Formats: sequence, C-alpha cells, structure tokens
Amino acid sequence: MRARRGFIERSIADITATLEKAIFSEELARKEGLLQNLDPRMKVITFLALLLAVSLSQGLLIIVALYFLTLLLAWRSRIPLGFFIKRVWLFMPFFTGMVALPALFNIFTPGEPIVTLWQTERFHLAITIQGLRTATFLVLRVGVSVSLALLSVLTTPWATLLKALHILRLPQVFILILGMAYRYAFLLLHTANSMFLARQSRTVGQMPGGENRRWIAASASTLLAKSYHLSQEVYLAMLSRGFRGEAQMLDTFRLKPSDWLWGATLLALALLAVLM
Amino acid sequence: MKMRKEPIFELERVSFTYDGKVTALREVSLAVAAREKIALLGANGSGKSTLLMILAGLYFPALGQVRAFGNALTEEAFKDESFAFSFRRKVGLLFQDPDVQLFSPTVWDEVAFAPLQLGLDQEEVVSRVEEALRLLRIESLRDRAPHRLSEGEKKKVAIASILSLHPEVWLLDEPTAGLDPRTESWFLDFICQLNEVGHTVITATHDLDAVDLIADRIYVLSEENRLIAQGTRQEILSDRELLLRCNLTHEHRHRHERLEHAHPHRHPERHIHPHE
Amino acid sequence: MHIPDGYLSPASCAVMYAAATPFWYRASRKVKRVLTARMVPLIALFAAFSFVIMMFNIPLPGGTTGHAVGSTLVAIILGPWAAVIAISVALAIQALFFGDGGVLAFGANCFNMAVVMPFVGYYIYHWISGRSELTSLRRPIGAAVAGYVALTIAALFTAVELGLQPYLFRAADGTPLYAPYGLSVAIPAMMGPHLLVASVVEALVTGSIISYLQRVNQPLLMLTTELPAEARERAVASPRARILWVGLAILILLAPLGLLAPGTAWGEWGGEELRELGLGFIPEGLERLGGIWPAPIPDYEVPGLNANLGYILSAVVGIVLVSLVTWLVSRIVVRQSTKI
Ligand SMILES: Nc1ncnc2c1ncn2[C@@H]1O[C@H](COP(=O)(O)OP(=O)(O)O)[C@@H](O)[C@H]1O
Ligand SMILES: [Mg+2]
Repeated sequence: MRARRGFIERSIADITATLEKAIFSEELARKEGLLQNLDPRMKVITFLALLLAVSLSQGLLIIVALYFLTLLLAWRSRIPLGFFIKRVWLFMPFFTGMVALPALFNIFTPGEPIVTLWQTERFHLAITIQGLRTATFLVLRVGVSVSLALLSVLTTPWATLLKALHILRLPQVFILILGMAYRYAFLLLHTANSMFLARQSRTVGQMPGGENRRWIAASASTLLAKSYHLSQEVYLAMLSRGFRGEAQMLDTFRLKPSDWLWGATLLALALLAVLM
Repeated sequence: MKMRKEPIFELERVSFTYDGKVTALREVSLAVAAREKIALLGANGSGKSTLLMILAGLYFPALGQVRAFGNALTEEAFKDESFAFSFRRKVGLLFQDPDVQLFSPTVWDEVAFAPLQLGLDQEEVVSRVEEALRLLRIESLRDRAPHRLSEGEKKKVAIASILSLHPEVWLLDEPTAGLDPRTESWFLDFICQLNEVGHTVITATHDLDAVDLIADRIYVLSEENRLIAQGTRQEILSDRELLLRCNLTHEHRHRHERLEHAHPHRHPERHIHPHE
Repeated sequence: MHIPDGYLSPASCAVMYAAATPFWYRASRKVKRVLTARMVPLIALFAAFSFVIMMFNIPLPGGTTGHAVGSTLVAIILGPWAAVIAISVALAIQALFFGDGGVLAFGANCFNMAVVMPFVGYYIYHWISGRSELTSLRRPIGAAVAGYVALTIAALFTAVELGLQPYLFRAADGTPLYAPYGLSVAIPAMMGPHLLVASVVEALVTGSIISYLQRVNQPLLMLTTELPAEARERAVASPRARILWVGLAILILLAPLGLLAPGTAWGEWGGEELRELGLGFIPEGLERLGGIWPAPIPDYEVPGLNANLGYILSAVVGIVLVSLVTWLVSRIVVRQSTKI
C-alpha cells in the first residue's frame, strides 16, 4: 500500500525534477563554450553524422574513441564532466544493461565459449565471445548515442534548437507544435502537481488502490478538460495576432568561418569512424 | 464627448451565450468612434471579456449585429483573406490571462509573432520587435521563456507582443490586474499616450481609479449581463447608486482627489468601519 | 517500448523513417488544409498531455506499475491524423530531454506509437462503439479495448523490428551487431509484459478517461464528429487522395518486410544496395536472409533458434502482420469511401 501511493508521488517528483534539469541545461546552453558557439544548424548536421557513425561502426574501439570525442567536446563546452557522465550511465543500466545481460550467454548468443559456468551432459551454460561482444556493442552504442543527443540538447537553447530543425525540412507546423507542446508540458505538470498537493492535503491515511485509480482517471480528465479550454483560448490569441494556420519563422543564423571549420572536422571524424 | 464621425464599432442588440447555456451578454448595443478612449465597466462575470472578444472578431454572436469599419463582422466575413488580414492588422487584443497570449519559446519570438504573420520583411520585423522591447524596457528578457516570467513581466511581454503589431485599435482586458503600483501607473500613462497619438483604446476593467484616467466615455455592464448605463466619465463615476447596484463599489469606499492618489487605494487592516 | 539508438541498424532506422514519413506529410497537410488552424494549439496541448501521461506510473493490482502512451485516447478525441502529430511531438520531447527513445530510432518509435497505435486504436474504438449514444457504455468499453489492442499491436511491431535485427546484421564471427535477440525471444519478451501490464494500463487510462468525459465534458468527445466531418469529405472525395491511400496501404504492407531490405551482412554494404532502398528489394532481401543465416552458428544444439525455425517464424509473423495491416487498411479505405 505504501508503495502504491509512492508511485504517483515519485512520478510527479521525477518529472518536475527532470524539467528543472531542463532549466538547468538552458543555463549550460548560455555558457561560452565550443559547442555553444557552433552554428545550431551545423551542430544538428554534425551530430546526426556522429550518431550515424556510432550506429554504423563495427569496431568496439572506434565506438569507445567516439565516446572520448564526446567527452572532449563536453569538456570544451564547459559541461561538468561528472554530471554529464553520470546522467548518461546511471540510468542506462536499468534498461539496456538488463536487456544486454542475457545476451552474454550461449543460450541466447551461440558462439565460442570463454567462460563455462555450468556443464552437465545435457546442459551447458557459458559466456561466449560473441555474446560478450554483442552485449558490449549494445551498451556502448546506446550510451554513446544518448551522450551525443544529450550534449547537443545541453548546449543549445530550446528555441534555437527548434529553429535549427528547420533545415531538416520539418514542416513548420511541426516545429510550431513542438515548441508549444514543450511549453504546455510545464503548464500541465504545474496543474498536476497542485492537484496532487490538493488531494494530499485532503486525504487522511491511505487511499485504496481502486479509489486511487479512479482519482487518477478523474484528475487526468480534469487536466484534459483544462487543456482543451486553454488551447481554444490560445488559438484565439494566435488568430488575433494574424495566425492563418502557417507558422512564419525568422532565419537569423549566419555561418562563421569557425562553424565551417568545426563542422568539417567533426564530419571528417564521423566519416573516418565509419570507414575504419 | 467627442464627435462621432468615423464609427469603428457598432453593436446592435447583441446577445451571446456559451454552449447554449451560460448567457454572457444580453441585448448589448454600443458604438465606438475612432480615437475614442472608452472603458467597459462591470463586475466579475458581467461579460466584459466576452464583449472584447466579439469586438476583436474572435467570437461571433448568434443574435444581433456587429459592424466594424463599416463591414459586418461575421465568421463568413473572415473567410475573405484580405478582410481578415486588414482587420487583424488594425485591431490588437490584450487578453485578460497573459498565459493564454504567450505561446512562443522566447520573449523575442513572442513579440515577433504578429509582424511575422503579417508577412513583413526581416528588417521591418527586427526593428518593430526591438522598438517594442525598448518601449516596455524588457530588452533584458529577450531570450527568456515567456512562461517562466513573473506575472508583471508576462503582462509587459503581452503588451509588447501587441505593440509590435502597430494596431490602430487597442482592446485591453483588465490590463492593470496583477501589476505592481509603479508598473500600473506607468501603463495607465502609456494608454493615455496611445490615445493622444491617435489610437482608439477600449479597456475592460472594474477598477474605478484606473477608469478615471483611461476613459472619456464609459459603458457599464450589470451583473445580469446587460448594458445599463453609458455616459461621460464624470456622469458615470459620480452616480454612486449605479456603481453600488453594479457591484463596482461598496459603502465604505473613499474617493480621493486624483492628483494626490494616482494609484488605487487599499484598505489597511486597521481601517475598520462599523457594519450595519 | 521506446527504442533507443543502438538497438536498430541504421538501415532499419532509415526504412522506419521512410515508413513514417508519408504519415507525417499527410498529417501536416491535413492540419494545414483541412483540419483548420484551430487544431494547432489543440494538438500541441494533447502532445503535452501525452508526454505527461507517458510519465505517470500507475499502480496496478499486484503491486506493479506501467505507463500509458495515450495514443488511442488522443486519436479518439482528435482523430488519428492529429494524433500522429501529437504523439510524434511527445516522442520527440521524450527523446531529446529524457534520452527516452533514440534520435535515429525516432522514425521507428513514431511508426509504432504515433502511426500504428492511433490508427488501430481509432478504428477499433469506432468499430465497437459504432453509432451508439454519446453516453453509451459501449464507448468507454470500446475505448478500453482499443487502447489494449493498440498498445499490444504497437508492442508487436516493436518486437518484430527488434527481433529481425540479429538475422540481418551480424559480424563475420556471428556476433549480432544490434539488438541481439531473435524473434522467438524478442516477441515473447515484449509481448508478455505488455499483454499483462502496460496494455492493461493503457486500457484503464483510455477507458476511464472516456467514461469520465462522458459524465463531465461531452463536448470533448464530439470533436471528431465536428471537425473531421468536413475534413473527411474534402480529403477523401478527391481521387488524388484515394491514390495516396493506396500508396499508403502499399507502404504499410511493405514496412514490416522492408526491415529485411538491406538484408546483407555489414561488410557487403555497397552503393548499389543503398540506392536500392526503394521498393524493388524484397525478394533479394529474403534470399540473402536465407543465404547468410546458417553459416555463423557453430553449434545450434543449444536451446535457441535454428535456421529454419527462425525463417519460418519470421515468415509467419510477416504474414500475420501483413494480413492484419491489409485488414486495417481495407477498413480504412472502405470506411472513407462510404462516407463520400
Ligand atoms: N468559455 C466559457 N464557457 C462558458 N461560460 C463562460 C466562458 N467564458 C465566460 N463564461 C461566462 O460568461 C459570463 C461572462 O464572462 P466574462 O465575459 O468573462 O465576464 P468578465 O470578463 O466581465 O468577468 C460569466 O458568467 C462567465 O462565467
Ligand atoms: Mg474578464
């Protein structure tokens, strides 16, 4: 029973904490550093290339090398390395680690055994070279990819990132909606948070599971109804300022020589990683 | 009272209901000429916001006639792109709730929204945005996210986002609510200046002190959502019986000389009157 | 359910992007042209709503938790096309800020949760609820069933995408380069928890929110009957739109098979094959699948997949998927054309 109530509590706390981190990351994005100064369009392109390199590369050492490149970039962009490394690798083991673990064994990945754990006439349990390699591939690829994505998000203010997505030929309406959704996520969470607090102040003792579920459904619906009402108003506000269904954006980016230099360097490294 | 030469808005027996259930306006008729300074006075729920939404061409009443700039203001009329375009460019609405009005990722984008929608070229957009930010002294907020600002700052950004539209007609919904005294008196001044340079300003409020400054003519809405009085500022504000009836003042309200008390007077706790 | 980068080969990612793109394109056109600009803030809000709902862990009988996706709910309220955009946006925010779901795998995640799920959910809901009263019990029940089935099918798609990886992408020594488990492991491993937990949560959330809305906010339930009514007329009436539907149908059909497309071991990747990522590859991909399979497995006495079994399984899954998708698409096309 205790745990049940804890779940919602923890969810809201988690979400709020993560969003606080998003605020924190805006701060990092406004520091003076290598990636902060890189043109955001160039950043999007080079980081996609690096992600692709991580994904395409067939050498474990190459992926490790790309990870060190990521750390180097983070360091040059004044991102606290401890925070950066922890944020990626602390949450990773839960999912990918657990997924990768069974792949070590010959049951799932047949191959040359290196460590035999159990051997009877009918049953043979061993860790295989192939299993070790595939698990390492998976964990490394996921870790380095998450690091890269995190690095680009940390060093780019959200609004700038949205504009940079332009060059990926995303329909404008997607970008507009993406920006608005991000903003409303805050608003909804605020509302959710206060609804939870309001309930907490009115509840004595524990709520039974069924009642708890009903409460969640009711508050989710309230959230939905509020959202709906708000969105109608926002639409009118947009309309009154001339919105006709298509977003217009201002392109104020200018490529500097240093952008070309860094862009070319990172792209070359990505290409090298794939070819090696 | 000024001569009514160019009528901007003419309403004839306009009634409005939400979802066919809640009546917000009953048979309201009014006329506003260019360059007028007008207040819509009424208690909470008397229909002020609804009336402004109708004037802004966002709600369309099922009963009654609305004309603006000589054209009927109907949903049908807004399907004509050129009419919609010219109307939206001329009329700016400040929403009561700034959270509704602020939907862009940064303050700068927020203020640039209207000029961009109007299809102005880049330089013009930039200069309008900079001008609006400067006038409201919010240049330092330019890269901030609007929803993370304080209430007063939000209001300023909302005002700037309309200023950049360069409207001829300003519709303001409780513009001073939530502002600190200094900003409030600055804003009331600002409204007067707007009017002096030739803009039409229609303000919805229930704040009698503010009305004193920002209106030459006043329309009063009753709690039954009817227009029950209209007249000059002096006529309306001196009719205590009317104001009492419309829940706009109470028995213990003190009027002070305007010059000495340019901002609302608040009752301190000690200021106790015997009640009957 | 959110596939991170590293689980799918870049080729599979490309195929999944290709599969999702026509839906994104169509959805954004619809929002622009037909659904009226009114939908824009609405979609944004529902995207935020789905994003929040994905993060709410819900207590289940038995002490476990799961979380909903909300695709079915959004599809029921806004219609499937708007849901495509809303859920894609929610997934994009999750991927960027939470590292939940990859950037390269974004196409795959969107295909599973923002395309398959809302469409399956929407049509099942309408199939069950039919023309029943707004307050009818058939609606929440339909919504719950739709939520359950839709998330389960989305999970199946995810499982198949993951499960196909080891057949297609192996190093010379047999090391799987991406997701290591074959279909026989991936499908039960994904389906078990979904059938028992996550889909149950989705069903509960979808059903109870619809039932709650019936009581307190019926206008929200009438959005699709108001908005896309005009939308459907215009969109479906034109012959061009019907061609697009057929095109989409073909694409959906090919999507699961398309995973086999660059069915070559990594080293053999050449410009030829890259160029052939188009539509003409399937038999070749299948052929290669047969070709590369037996070689790298030294001893397959160990419990696990053997070559033929793997092949048959993938074929069976493929056939099931294809028939399912055909059925769905035919329902969509039939429904749409009877509405004209
Ligand atoms: N979106 C809405 N839906 C239903 N009723 C509404 C809505 N907005 C306002 N009302 C109702 O209409 C009446 C007038 O509201 P409003 O115009 O906001 O008054 P004011 O701005 O003077 O406070 C009130 O009774 C209010 O409850
Ligand atoms: Mg109001």
